[in-house]
Amino acid sequence: MAGFKIRKVFADDLGANNPVFAQVLGICSTLAVTNVLKNTVVMCVGLIFVTALSNMTVSLLRKYMPSRIRMMVETLIIASYVIIVDIVLRAFLPDVSRQLGPYVGLIITNCIIMGRAEAFALSNPPGLSFMDGIASGIGYSYVLIAIAIVREIMGSGSIWGYPLLGDWWTNWSIMVMAPGAFFMLAIFIWIVKGLRDKEEGESS
Amino acid sequence: MKKDSVAKKRIVPVVFMLVITLVFISITTVIYTFTKDTIALNERLRLKRAVLYAAGVQLPDDAVEIEKAFDNRVTEVKNETGGVKYYEVAESGTSNIESYVVIQVGAGLWGEITAGVGFDNELDSFKGLEIIDQNETPGLGGRIGETWFKEQFRGKRPPLTTVPEGDATNENQFQAVTGASYSTAAIQDIMNASQEYAHMEILGSQ
Repeated sequence: MAGFKIRKVFADDLGANNPVFAQVLGICSTLAVTNVLKNTVVMCVGLIFVTALSNMTVSLLRKYMPSRIRMMVETLIIASYVIIVDIVLRAFLPDVSRQLGPYVGLIITNCIIMGRAEAFALSNPPGLSFMDGIASGIGYSYVLIAIAIVREIMGSGSIWGYPLLGDWWTNWSIMVMAPGAFFMLAIFIWIVKGLRDKEEGESS
Repeated sequence: MKKDSVAKKRIVPVVFMLVITLVFISITTVIYTFTKDTIALNERLRLKRAVLYAAGVQLPDDAVEIEKAFDNRVTEVKNETGGVKYYEVAESGTSNIESYVVIQVGAGLWGEITAGVGFDNELDSFKGLEIIDQNETPGLGGRIGETWFKEQFRGKRPPLTTVPEGDATNENQFQAVTGASYSTAAIQDIMNASQEYAHMEILGSQ
């Protein structure tokens, strides 16, 4: 039964209920960090960590937490985990921490984390909430990584900082700017929705 | 009955919030305490690496070797309050000053840019540039930290002006970062201001 629930959580968060292309959450960071793949991956790892642990903590406290202050408590929990991520990066990955700059702190404002705490963790047990955090984080991550790969290749001619396309390629500056992310996200949503509509059309 | 209701509505949330705040502050404080020495060490190493790079010194790979090179070749010249005014970098194995490095701060797009700027021993030309801290847009203004951008300053002479990325430069020009005119202008200001500072502090004190 637990295995079935976890599979359902993953199927939802990665597909039909994906936080980015179905719920259109976490768009600020989608625009901000996806111009460089390395920063995107670190951001995604940070977000998976924060979403999973904040979901689990909120779920553990849900029976004792006064409902009037629940959002304050959730913000405090999320902020604490983000500070931990920031400290760990500064101590053990200082170069990545410097490159990401203020974006690590901005994980706090990612709507997905608060959204999952409110929509899932408050009404589900800790283990399942933890898995939901992981699934939501992965659902967010694969969309961002797909966008980042295209943006870095077209915008900088490189991947993970290594030159890929050579001198013949003229970098598309728009791809490293926020409008490039808007275009890429819109194309991604268009393709995914097109495929889903096609599947639904075939099954009905 | 009424008292219970008031307690539940007013006091319990306040106490709960205080307790939960105390718990999470304690956790983050413990983690910070365990990692603060490592963070401070990283920051010091970063500064030493930046001074050596800006002075045009071939950087060793190993952190211990960087510390050793810094200790052997670099002298900090301090002001009255104990802050570092500039760094003197000696030739390898001698006490002859080969270059000077100053730390210059300027306004970037999203925050301050802190850079180490190196000069030859007559303050005529730049020996190098290293970005110590910046919050420019990653992939755009953030490219001021890329090697090609930093390396182009070696041997240039102030005052500097810019040309578009990819264009040929003379000794008073450097290539801008495409799509990051504000960050490029910030670096231009930092480089030119650092020369004024170096003349004032280094030549003024000799």
